[in-house]
Amino acid sequence: MKAQRAASLHGLMLPAVIFVVLMVIFPFGYAFWLSLQDYRIGQAVKFIGIGNYTALIQDEQFWNGIKLTFILYITALILQLILGVGLGMLLHRVQLMRGLVRTVMVSPFMLPPVVIGMMSIVILDPGMGVANYLLKAANLPTSLFLASTDYVIYTIVLIDTWQWTPFVALIVLGGLQSLPTKIYEAAAIDGATGWREFIYITLPLLGPTILTAAVLRSVDLLRFFDVIYITTQGGPGYASSTLNIYAYRKAFEFTDIGYAAALMITLSTIVFGVVLVFSQFRKKVTW
Amino acid sequence: MKTLMRYLMSLQVIVLCIVLFAPIAWMILASFKNRTEITKYPPELFFTPTLENYQHLFTRTDFLENTLNSFYVAGGSTVLGLLLALPAAYAISWHRMTWPATLTLFARMAPGTLFLLPWFIMFSNLGLSGTHAALIITHAVITLPIALWTMLPHFDGLPRELTESAQIDGCSSLKILILIALPIVMPGLIVAIILSFIFSWNYFLFALALSGISSKTAIVASFNFIGEGVTNWGALMAAATVIALPPIILTFLIQRKLVAGLSFGAVKG
Repeated sequence: MKAQRAASLHGLMLPAVIFVVLMVIFPFGYAFWLSLQDYRIGQAVKFIGIGNYTALIQDEQFWNGIKLTFILYITALILQLILGVGLGMLLHRVQLMRGLVRTVMVSPFMLPPVVIGMMSIVILDPGMGVANYLLKAANLPTSLFLASTDYVIYTIVLIDTWQWTPFVALIVLGGLQSLPTKIYEAAAIDGATGWREFIYITLPLLGPTILTAAVLRSVDLLRFFDVIYITTQGGPGYASSTLNIYAYRKAFEFTDIGYAAALMITLSTIVFGVVLVFSQFRKKVTW
Repeated sequence: MKTLMRYLMSLQVIVLCIVLFAPIAWMILASFKNRTEITKYPPELFFTPTLENYQHLFTRTDFLENTLNSFYVAGGSTVLGLLLALPAAYAISWHRMTWPATLTLFARMAPGTLFLLPWFIMFSNLGLSGTHAALIITHAVITLPIALWTMLPHFDGLPRELTESAQIDGCSSLKILILIALPIVMPGLIVAIILSFIFSWNYFLFALALSGISSKTAIVASFNFIGEGVTNWGALMAAATVIALPPIILTFLIQRKLVAGLSFGAVKG
């Protein structure tokens, strides 16, 4: 009876497992196999082993992609964590119009990326956009934003920070609300206030929460695609061609399938590596 | 002093809300400006609103058809994702097994571009290229993990005696799930449905590479508007406002549960 029930329960899992194997695991293996071929549209497919990977190392645009991926990842992550913790703490203390504030906070990250992209194009237009108008009015230097080879990646950092800081803040807020108030009472008696309270009590207690936010943002930032592709398609030139964008361009603009697959496998390895590092770290801070 | 601090903090929250909402408000305003007003420099906050951008969008382009496609794909992949995720989440929760749930996280972490090339070749061989079915199946890769991880804590909260007694009465597991478990976890189910729909609706990459002319979603159509020569900013902002509406409205219904649902079990709601 019990075994029968267990079997029928496993049966319930089967469709989902089959689906994931067919649509996720098999394609992953297939992509790896593709990365070992010289596969270009209109040419005979040839097995070349690690040929695509050795070509990567000599490809200037590959290293440019790595550099841009990590500039974007690290600056955006740090900005969003610092601002998110600050904003979360602020929201924890202010009771003002909770419902309305929450609605405003969730709006940016629930909008379709294509909306974020279209909005950015219009607002940040170097000639007619309202952003440069406001900068000029405030006597600040204007910027080419998305059209600037030097600043395009930081403009994307800015857009993503606008969109996702509220998400980090809401996670932090959830963490703060679950902290025991007794600790703060005890700390107040011991004379801990302001910054000391924040650094010695709040921050360590929030560690696991912040780490969770960091992992979630890391996965999204390392494989960031949509807003970049929508606003710049990786340009000007290659100035915003992060690894993911570069891989897509290789596959769909230059139809160099094998090489693109090698790029995508490399990027996946980086994402899994970073998540693994975080999960090791997580074991240390959770108690 | 204390009240002053309180005022200052409230002021900070108000300023932050304005910063977060201003670009969205600007987009909505711009969608009601006519051709000359939208590129006017300096930009103006007050103007006579017009519906001409929306008219242009729905009468001179395929945007209506694209929007319907978006509804088919988001609706279809939500249903498919739930059909797969609900029984799986129920079984995983009963057995306290973690590996099948972790397996779906793989889909959440891998870059979407990785799957595009194999899918492209797979769907060509199956003759499904450019169809709604191909988009629904690929978008279910997004909706399945979301639905599964949203439902897990709800199934974990079910009292075990309830299903055990039904089982003694000879009910099959599927019957127990549908007749007994689902009505109890209804609040969680609603969150799972809404989140799945929003994420499928918003998703750009798969439709960009895999949709055909007849299955093009509103998201991809809007992206194409950007590239179409002399960009018509008014129509662009009108399209952006239209596709922003469903997620905004749906989000409004579940905002409290939202962050818990998006963090894959890492944050409690």
